[in-house]
Amino acid sequence: MTTPETAKLPHMEEVQHDKPLDMRYDGAMRRSQKAKPQWIDRIWNFFSSVKVGIWLIALTLVATFIGSLYPQQSAFLSPPDEAYYTETYGTLGQWYYVLGFSQTYESWWFLTLIVLLATSIVIASFDRGIPLYRILKNQPVARSSSFLCGQQIHETYALSEPLQHTSLVEALRQQRFTVQQQGEALLAEKNRWSRMGPYVNHIGLIIFLICAFIRSFPGLSYEAYVSILEGDVVPIAQTAYFIKNEQFTIAWHESTDGGPPLKKDQATPKRFETKVTLYTCEQRCQSDEPALKEVTRGVVAVNEPFRYRGMALYQLGYDVTPQIRSITVRLRDKRNNTSYGPLTLKTNNPARTYTAGPYTLQLINYFPDFALDKAGNPTTVSANTPNAPAYVLDIRGGDAPAQGWTYVYFPREVDKMRFRQAELNARVGSGERWELSADGMKNVDIATYTSTLVMRDDQTLPYLLIGAVISMVGLVMGFYWQHRRIWLCWDAHRLVLAAHTNKNHFGLQREVQHMREALHRIGIATPVAQQQEGSA
Amino acid sequence: MTAWYAWSNGALVLALIGYIVACATFSWSVTGRQWHKSQPQVRQARIGVFGFRITLVALASHLVYFALRWIANGFIPVSNFFEFIAFLAMMIAVAFVLLFLVYRHVLLGIFVTPISMILLAYAMVFPWEAQPLVPSLQSVWLYIHVTTAATGEAFFAVAFAAGLMYLLRMRALHPQVAKRKRWGIECMLVAVLIVVGFIMSAFIFRLSGYEATFVPIPRQVVAEGERSQAPADGDTIVYAMPPLAAPYGYTVAQMDGFWGITQPLTTTPSWMHGVQAGRKWNTVLWSVSSGLLLYGLLRLLVRQPLSLAIGRRLEVLDLQQVDEISYRAIAIGFPIFTLGALIFAMIWAQIAWNRFWGWDPKEVWALITWLFYSAYLHVRLRKGWEGERSAWLAVVGFVVVMFTLVGVNLVIAGLHSYAGV
Repeated sequence: MTTPETAKLPHMEEVQHDKPLDMRYDGAMRRSQKAKPQWIDRIWNFFSSVKVGIWLIALTLVATFIGSLYPQQSAFLSPPDEAYYTETYGTLGQWYYVLGFSQTYESWWFLTLIVLLATSIVIASFDRGIPLYRILKNQPVARSSSFLCGQQIHETYALSEPLQHTSLVEALRQQRFTVQQQGEALLAEKNRWSRMGPYVNHIGLIIFLICAFIRSFPGLSYEAYVSILEGDVVPIAQTAYFIKNEQFTIAWHESTDGGPPLKKDQATPKRFETKVTLYTCEQRCQSDEPALKEVTRGVVAVNEPFRYRGMALYQLGYDVTPQIRSITVRLRDKRNNTSYGPLTLKTNNPARTYTAGPYTLQLINYFPDFALDKAGNPTTVSANTPNAPAYVLDIRGGDAPAQGWTYVYFPREVDKMRFRQAELNARVGSGERWELSADGMKNVDIATYTSTLVMRDDQTLPYLLIGAVISMVGLVMGFYWQHRRIWLCWDAHRLVLAAHTNKNHFGLQREVQHMREALHRIGIATPVAQQQEGSA
Repeated sequence: MTAWYAWSNGALVLALIGYIVACATFSWSVTGRQWHKSQPQVRQARIGVFGFRITLVALASHLVYFALRWIANGFIPVSNFFEFIAFLAMMIAVAFVLLFLVYRHVLLGIFVTPISMILLAYAMVFPWEAQPLVPSLQSVWLYIHVTTAATGEAFFAVAFAAGLMYLLRMRALHPQVAKRKRWGIECMLVAVLIVVGFIMSAFIFRLSGYEATFVPIPRQVVAEGERSQAPADGDTIVYAMPPLAAPYGYTVAQMDGFWGITQPLTTTPSWMHGVQAGRKWNTVLWSVSSGLLLYGLLRLLVRQPLSLAIGRRLEVLDLQQVDEISYRAIAIGFPIFTLGALIFAMIWAQIAWNRFWGWDPKEVWALITWLFYSAYLHVRLRKGWEGERSAWLAVVGFVVVMFTLVGVNLVIAGLHSYAGV
């Protein structure tokens, strides 16, 4: 294919083509055009076919469409079952579920389709891109008249005197063409690289698809959801990290702050954020009291993830979950009205012993969510949520008897009434003398919000982005620039002008018009024969 | 602050009037033949350029709206449905102006200005009030993602207009083509008129402030077994269009009269499930009936298939050039769309929702649109589908775009539902 054609025009006679030459790959020989294909060639041919590629695109489109008809199971926090689809969408919904369309995008056939599409992209690009690159790189300056007359634009002019081509070269250069000369032939070319646009785009797409596939393997991407009450420290699953919600703040849109007027009475959150401290666990990680070491502090807000060493924390949402975190009380001796303390009772992992003056209080039982079971025995409804905390304490030391005084304490007034704290304590004998009290709300630490965060560690993200950027570069190369060529070939009597572009015929017309004017200026005016495809 | 809004709203109304006048001028340039003796080419060029200037004025007014509203909001006005559709209409006008400057093709205006006009009218149906931004929208990516995606889509709209012109002209050039093709084009025009009917009825009833309210019929009245669809007590349904079909299981609480209609004409079939099924069905009835009425009137006026009548008016059309414009618009729009609706969208989704892709309906439909235009580009550039088949694809492609933008919110809804319909 590198054999240079003769610079002379031995066959300067007009060649009549029914159709313009197929210039799609500049006539490059492709692997898929082998005369006697082996089985591997057949596979290659299948995937390199544009027709197959278009069918795969169309099938992917249809599959994607089917998946959007009803909500996918993955769109729910707890995936619904067949009954949900039947109930909500009738018989069609039931079939949708039964046929597996409710999990379209995770299904084997959808993934197979994507793999086939990716294979097609790779093979078609190799099959066409490389030969095209080679043939364009080694293209001869002088082409046969058959080639020239096969172009969409080609005109033959009669020459009455030898051609002075310098002004033509100048005119081409003015239009930013790169001009090569070989004997009595000129090749003016611009933006050849734009022909590589589709292949660059395909490389980007492949990088993106491969990364997306790799991501789906376990271990390569990591995510963990944590819901943390203000002030709490929780471990992040599968990591050595612990995270503390130092403070959750929320600001609301108001009509007075100069912003746009509020719509009716809907208050919209303006911003919510969580101040967090990240710890690593050093010892006793599984226990109630792990040894933690602070590593960093930061703020997480919507649209402002907090990053630390390849990990990123995202603010997902929040819940209003008002609950007592701790209460600071004093122990009052009713007989002489002296009080001891203060002592702080936490609702989450309360301490075992407290000191109040000469006395020691021992926590003998704690119910975060106190209730009485059917048999009338105390129990807790939820293991962790302090909806109705209850403390059973023994007061020892000082003048207390050896077995101590038992005292039951409900921090919430409503529980005190409901479970009759006073009666209980009167019955166990400590009620006459002792009282635990908080003296007002200032001593009650209430956490209002639970903040939900996601921690992600995604090593493949940068590569995905690289894939997308390469793909984008390819698109811009291919669509915003065109490869244009103008050939001039002459002998003593005639000159042939031919032009080709891979896209945007309209723009080429204008450049050819410039050439016609340049020819006109050196006295070459009327084309002898002109054939312009499609001008009818 | 309210003064800014008042001025910006005024500019938007002016823009709408401008598009209407431009649209009428462009139509005049091809229909005025009977009343003028001059050469159609000359007249079309002269009146067409006049129409283009009016489009420029309308666009300038539209830009004024945009700038003033941006100032008043304090953030870019693309955050709710009204603002977004108004922005899309503006970008379509911009895409038209750009392609006009390249190709100098005045006839394109006949089909592009109506798209801007209709979309703008549609935008005006939605609540105009600015809503404060929820935290997930407070990002610089709101500016980048929405504007680039809409710009890409605007070029697809121009491709649609050029494709439509191509098909109509082909219809007039070959009046005896296969029945299937004739029907195809005529049906497409009916579909376009149904969309126009939908927007017109929504626009007119919104302008007149029409309202009908329904309350549920108490439960015991509804027969046992049909209860699943019966609404929870206390829900009321508000119609913004006169009820051709009342919601099932509801009774009128209050209803404005409309041309003597004081009672709902029919009831929504009981098998139609889903939220607001009655209201949606009523809208469909209005759209179809007003679209068909519109078609009937036009058909009576021209006394021949509408596609043929329009096609015959487009006599100075250079088919090859229109084909090229349609393709070129897609070639320009495709990379912008890819960047805005997929790449920027993924980057933002990663930041705001901590995953770049989640098969949310809007994401899925952006992908469907992208796949569709990829297929278009492959068949055109590699399989040589030019002319008619390519024009059909350009037309269908824009239907996909509009479904992604409007249909998904109306029908499916998902994470993008703050765009409130």
